[in-house]
Amino acid sequence: MSLVMSFTVKNLLPATICSIRSNFPSSIHKYSTGPSKTSSNVLDHLTDWETLSKNRKTSKAMKAYLERAKEHDEFMKRQHLEFNIGKRHLANMMGEDPETFTQKDVDRAIEYLFPSGIYDPAARPLMKPPEEVFPARKAAEFDEAGRPHHFLFYTGKPSFFKVLYDAAEHIQALNKFEDKVIRKKATPDPNGSLKLEGSVWLTKEQLEQSLVESIKEIEYENFKVVMERLVSSPYAYLCKDFIEKYRKPLAMQRFALEIPKPSYDEEGRAFITTYECLRKKARGEVTIRYPGSGKISINGKDITYFEDIQPREQVMFPLIFSGMQNSVDVECHIEGGGPSGQAGAIRWGIAWSLRSFVEKDMLEKMQVAGLLTRDHRRRERKKPGQPGARKKPTWKKR
Amino acid sequence: MRVPAIYFYYLYFLACLQLRLGLSYLRHYSTAPKPLQENSTEDVKLPVNPLEHPDYFQVHNLFTVKDLFDARVHYGHKEGSLNDYMRPYLYGSRLGHLIFDLDITAEHLRKALNFAAHIAYRGGIICFFNRNAMNSHKVERTAKECGEYAHTRFWRGGIFTNANYQFGAVTRLPDLCIFLNTQNNILNQHTAVRDSAKMLIPTIGIVDSNCNPNLITYPVPGNDDTPVAIELYCKLFKEAILRGKAERMKLLQEVN
Repeated sequence: MSLVMSFTVKNLLPATICSIRSNFPSSIHKYSTGPSKTSSNVLDHLTDWETLSKNRKTSKAMKAYLERAKEHDEFMKRQHLEFNIGKRHLANMMGEDPETFTQKDVDRAIEYLFPSGIYDPAARPLMKPPEEVFPARKAAEFDEAGRPHHFLFYTGKPSFFKVLYDAAEHIQALNKFEDKVIRKKATPDPNGSLKLEGSVWLTKEQLEQSLVESIKEIEYENFKVVMERLVSSPYAYLCKDFIEKYRKPLAMQRFALEIPKPSYDEEGRAFITTYECLRKKARGEVTIRYPGSGKISINGKDITYFEDIQPREQVMFPLIFSGMQNSVDVECHIEGGGPSGQAGAIRWGIAWSLRSFVEKDMLEKMQVAGLLTRDHRRRERKKPGQPGARKKPTWKKR
Repeated sequence: MRVPAIYFYYLYFLACLQLRLGLSYLRHYSTAPKPLQENSTEDVKLPVNPLEHPDYFQVHNLFTVKDLFDARVHYGHKEGSLNDYMRPYLYGSRLGHLIFDLDITAEHLRKALNFAAHIAYRGGIICFFNRNAMNSHKVERTAKECGEYAHTRFWRGGIFTNANYQFGAVTRLPDLCIFLNTQNNILNQHTAVRDSAKMLIPTIGIVDSNCNPNLITYPVPGNDDTPVAIELYCKLFKEAILRGKAERMKLLQEVN
């Protein structure tokens, strides 16, 4: 078994190590060879005319590119082979069928065999198909004669500057359109307006990713200035498609988690139980019953379970906030921690359960009020050499 | 009998002008478009070598001096900013502003247009340059429309001189650089002018009265700031390049 293990791990390693990103110059690209030309006396002295001269020359740029592409192809082929072998060994190790071993299984196996406590998932060991591990290559940016495809190629950042160029083009078109409307003494179309509230401009990183080009801070600022200017036109809705390509909707992840449907008990009342209500060292579960009369039971007692006012307020807050204090019953079991931790855990549990019983706009309000946010703070450890986590001994000069 | 008399008057007039300006050069006297020289491909079967033809692409009829005047090409900068090397191209000064001699400009511009057309004819890469934000979009559009290249942005050092590193691969550089202004700002010359000279890339440049024409292969004295003037240059260069390309297509079809 140990023999197999070492062999497997050895085969596993190449693909695992592959996660180190490396820069490879360029990639495969299909190019068409033009029709072959016949010779002519006129053309003989046109030496630099690759596409015409009798003995067609491929430009130096293309030659170098083809060489690189070939090298890269071979490299990828090798990586593929190693990956497939590694995958089979992994499947054998896990005692599964190598034929039906999917990428999901691979990930699971790697997580099992190489447990890692590293916080950033990107730094954990991985085994993925080589095309995912090695960055995508740009296709050849020039033709056989060495002529670049993009008219802004020599700027070094053609896609980025093309965006600016297109934006300027749109601004000019809109200005022209506005002039025309004014000349006709018409008014802007009230229906056609751009709704930009729910979205923001792509961040620098996102823009870089979408353009496959690195841009500088000042260039990103320029991008934003140009786009803002485009948007400021009253007729900006005419180039909505262009604008929306560079905007990203604000995260709607708050309700991405599905709100559970309540179950019904034998009395026909709807109820929701939230398990694992955590805060500090307290943990518990909260059950909400609807309709109810505002009864609260905490570990069998009522709200007087808490002796102080503040934890009581904490518990009541989500009910009062949502106006449900008289229409639901709350039942919770809580243990561990102190009063404030328990109260916080119950508060979150009640708010979390109430999601199933309130309207959408109330949900929105609860989100804004921070009721649906878990409080992950824990006690900070005491440090040696000082009396508390942060507290220092009294400083005396002499 | 009359013609010589007029001619002498003209010479006398020129002499006066030269005295007035203290300039010692020969004046060129072409304003109106010359009668077209027939492309010999039409009447003679033998294909002519375009390089031996004085104006194979008929760039001569693209513009007149009147067009240049209307586009305000004759306005230079103020007297104080004059670059000494621009002295031969001046007509004089009016209210402290220098005025270009459009006859000379026309001559230079035609040479430049002819050269650009030839480069396009031979499949060369042409790159337009301009660092004036007001005009840069126009220049980029021109480049796009005639299927050539433009660089109107911040010039990263080494794009020409260290191209293989900058582009991460062996790269073919332009065969002709057209500068619609040769200055980065009022003080510095565009680095690409120097770099083109280093890399033996021929250049065409619109040089204003405050620019140095020394490193430009085909300097064209004229106003390089006014949008109207830039528009005219763009139009002319585009037309010349398109003519070169049209000829090229014709030849390609003949050969195949």
